Amino acid sequence: MSTVFSEEQRDCLQELINVAMGLASDKLARFLNTFVHLQVPAIELVNSAQIPAQFEARYSHTEAALVSQGFLGNDGLRGEAIVLYQLDNAHRIAALLGYDTDSASELEMLTDISSILTTTFLNGLADQIDNSLSYSAPRVLSSRQNNVSEALQETAFHWELALKVDISYQLVDHSFNCDMLLLIPGEAVLNIQKILDRILEEY
Amino acid sequence: MSEDWLTGPVLEQLNSGVLVVNEQLQLVYLNSFLQRHSSVQLSDVKGKSLFQVFTDVPEAWLRRKFASVLELQSPSFSSWEQRQYIIKLPHLRPVTSSSQYMAQNCTMLPLNDPEGRRYVCLLIEDATDAFVYQQHLQSTLQKLELSNRIDGLTQALNRRYWEEQLKLEVQRAQRYQQPLSLLLFDLDKFKQLNDQYGHLGGDCVLIELTARVRVLLRDTDWFGRYGGEEFGIVLTNTALAGALEVAERVCLAVNSTAVTFHDQSIATSVSIGVAQLDAVGDRAHEVLIGQADIALYNAKRDGRNRVVVFSAGETEFLLKAN
Repeated sequence: MSTVFSEEQRDCLQELINVAMGLASDKLARFLNTFVHLQVPAIELVNSAQIPAQFEARYSHTEAALVSQGFLGNDGLRGEAIVLYQLDNAHRIAALLGYDTDSASELEMLTDISSILTTTFLNGLADQIDNSLSYSAPRVLSSRQNNVSEALQETAFHWELALKVDISYQLVDHSFNCDMLLLIPGEAVLNIQKILDRILEEY
Repeated sequence: MSEDWLTGPVLEQLNSGVLVVNEQLQLVYLNSFLQRHSSVQLSDVKGKSLFQVFTDVPEAWLRRKFASVLELQSPSFSSWEQRQYIIKLPHLRPVTSSSQYMAQNCTMLPLNDPEGRRYVCLLIEDATDAFVYQQHLQSTLQKLELSNRIDGLTQALNRRYWEEQLKLEVQRAQRYQQPLSLLLFDLDKFKQLNDQYGHLGGDCVLIELTARVRVLLRDTDWFGRYGGEEFGIVLTNTALAGALEVAERVCLAVNSTAVTFHDQSIATSVSIGVAQLDAVGDRAHEVLIGQADIALYNAKRDGRNRVVVFSAGETEFLLKAN
């Protein structure tokens, strides 16, 4: 077995992620009391070594934030979810979540937003494969003072494979773009392939 | 075999707080850890609003958190690094911690009972140790930063930091078109003084000199040790006339009273070069140092214990001489 996904596996994963996004947008819309439109997320499996370079260009000229949250499920499903976004974007969604910038620190706001995005999406994914996930507390890896690609380099180093999910949330009157990276270690990739194969067999 | 009997005792002896509220945010459960730390009995508070029992929790914030847990059915977190605690509780390290209250890492989890009713479980972990270490680290870093910019012997700024500040102040003065002056001064005949009284005597004079000069300066001036017995003062927002006045006072303060070292009186004096910033460009601070240095050289040549102001003619003289 290799850590390269077959075409069927890749299609299956894309489908699961599409549905998870749909579930997440539905939940977010109810929670935020506004219409949330999620574009079908583009997913890409990349060697984690390429990641810092890929994101450097996009985030080097703006103030960006990077928040990490570990997840752990049954059947050897585990990894680290990283949400990257531009800080001015973050303030837009923070206003929507009911934060006024005085009462909560910026870091607290960042971890809250990221945690909501990550856990609603991953819970949706886990539901479909009869799994359930627990999460570590979100951690800000870098915000305005640090370099994004440096922080990514330190993190991505430990993982074999990264599932890159481009997420674009569009809310009425607001748009919010971010990138979500699911970093997954080698043996967990094999476990995900087993899960995907099991689903494929059922069809 | 069912392990249900385990849950109760473990929950009660857990070294973390466990609190459960229903959708109306009324208390359903508190474990022993929380009951003991907050001095409330579950039987007294069951069914009461969380905010009625714990009156100092940040209510609006916590309501928002709980709403997201209930609505999204996904966990929410709070770290002591961003919010030191949610519920004010004493901790068990009264001696070693500078903080009165327990630092907390909190997790809020969605729970559902068999009838489908929704609850939120708040887990509170004691993070006081991490908080204490973090504080030690912070204060050590602060001390380190300070010692990194201070000259150990005289407590004046060290050369590297002083030069950085000079550069910044020169840029600032150029940007806002404010005057800026520089004093460079040397302790006269320092080598002779060291030979006569030993290095400890020399050190003693340097320390005393620094102390006498410091009281003459404003908070906005930068006073640094430039070399062995050479010092520099950056006078912000000060033109030549003002700088000359400060220089005269420094000269007098050093020379007027002898320094006492092991019952010996050591008479000392300084020579001072003064220059006002007039150069432009990236290297303006270096030009300024060069000009003050020429003036200092002239002060020594003219017989020491005096102040000399840089003038453009002197440059040419020196350049020709070299």
